[in-house]
Amino acid sequence: MWNKVLLYLTAILLLLLGWWALALVLDSNALPTPPTTFEAFWVAIGGPLKVHLAASLTRVVVSIILAVLLAVPTGLVLGRVKWLDWLAGPLIFLTYPVPKIVFLPVFMAIFGLGNLSKVLLVGLIVFYQMLVTTWDAARAISPQLIYSVTSLGAREWDLYRHVLFPAVLPKIFTALRIGLGTAIAVLFIAENYATNRGLGFYLLETWSRGAYDEMYAGIIAMGLMGWGLYQVLGWLERKACPWMAD
Amino acid sequence: MSSSPSRRGSPPHHTGDPAVRVQDLSVIFSHGPGGPVEALKDVSFSLDEGQTCALIGPSGCGKTTLLYTLAGLIKPSSGRVMIKGEPVRPKRRDTALILQDYGLLPWKTVWKNVSLGLEIRRVPREEQQQKVEEVLGSLGLLAMRDRFPGQLSGGQRQRVAIARALTLDPDLLLMDEPFSSLDALTREELQESLVELWQVKRPTLVVVTHSIEEAVFLGQKIIIMSGGPGRVLYELDNPGVGSRGYRRTAEYHRLTTTIRDLLVENRLKSTSHRAQHHPWESIG
Repeated sequence: MWNKVLLYLTAILLLLLGWWALALVLDSNALPTPPTTFEAFWVAIGGPLKVHLAASLTRVVVSIILAVLLAVPTGLVLGRVKWLDWLAGPLIFLTYPVPKIVFLPVFMAIFGLGNLSKVLLVGLIVFYQMLVTTWDAARAISPQLIYSVTSLGAREWDLYRHVLFPAVLPKIFTALRIGLGTAIAVLFIAENYATNRGLGFYLLETWSRGAYDEMYAGIIAMGLMGWGLYQVLGWLERKACPWMAD
Repeated sequence: MSSSPSRRGSPPHHTGDPAVRVQDLSVIFSHGPGGPVEALKDVSFSLDEGQTCALIGPSGCGKTTLLYTLAGLIKPSSGRVMIKGEPVRPKRRDTALILQDYGLLPWKTVWKNVSLGLEIRRVPREEQQQKVEEVLGSLGLLAMRDRFPGQLSGGQRQRVAIARALTLDPDLLLMDEPFSSLDALTREELQESLVELWQVKRPTLVVVTHSIEEAVFLGQKIIIMSGGPGRVLYELDNPGVGSRGYRRTAEYHRLTTTIRDLLVENRLKSTSHRAQHHPWESIG
């Protein structure tokens, strides 16, 4: 435990030192030193930055929850019901590789310029990642396990509850970790358009004003948001998958 | 011994029907890699109530398929499988099946795994508690109740699988190579516990095995099968099962030798006109 803390502290220290050195060498407005940046962060987070952070955080969390709620049951059913798997397979694998971000203008045209289009776009991307993961994991469940539980008298619903869902749960968390990074990146782009809320907007706005220390405050906020969500995921995973503990 | 809710009038009213009757059973898998595959052909035998039976034969002889058919998981292509006078059906309440890899759920603790059958059958919580405790106790597993299968040894896992089957008070217990992945001593120890349990509860017991010693130690009736397609070659009676120190008797050794000779002889015969390896064993 303490070893881990120490490692983290060392890593943070090294990063800060590297940053500081680089800032001194470059001596540019575009890269302020750590103390300047942290000061700007403190000031900004007490002011408008927290509103933008809250807006982005809400969008990411709502998108992810929506995606999980839709993708996981769909993936489980597709993994279990042969003919649906057979029907949906080509559909998903043809559309999966298309970068969903290109639909940003379409989404804004259809769902408006507000939150809805952004949440749906991010949600769609996470949905695909979750769907494919859940589906594959559900298909990979050993038939022996299904036979065993069936022989105990399990009905279809019991199989979903006792076998399929728990079997894919750890994979869902892995997919969520990967999906989270993508979600934040996509959100950043989506927030560059047609909004005056969110970290994406904040970053672009401070940049256009040349307010670099405020821009860095935004970057820190974004980093903290990602880090915080990772921690939440890790905590949830430990709670939900105790058998995975080493 | 507490009476069980899931058991509906088993031993007292004896119907006169054998516990298991298989008549001219054939199973054909229509999706074999090279077209339909005949896994079992004209298999017939019957077992009395409370009898033990070992199915032995080379890989690919269809013994696992036969076990799955007895469990109702595979439908006969022709012929009949009757359990206590009724046609076999999936989810027969008093049949328990233990598969080779034990079929334990890695995400459930020992306790939850063992109570799963009762939970699925919507047995009241209190009864579950009582039953699971009794069974875990009888198998020496109570101390492990909160562990996950991943934290157990192979022998312990097999015990948990047996415990899960026993909670349902089965009158027909089907086991697929139950002890094949265990070390020699654990294997013998578990074979002995199984015989002891059988002596108390007297379920009809069918064990698929590729071990001659296991077949002789466990099977009052030993059915020797051959593959391509799976058929019954011989049926041997082995009344000594369950007697004290059976493993050290002359009868036990004589029977293992007999079976070994029969298997070898059959192998020599079959390799002469069957060079091909049969793929359907991957089912079990």
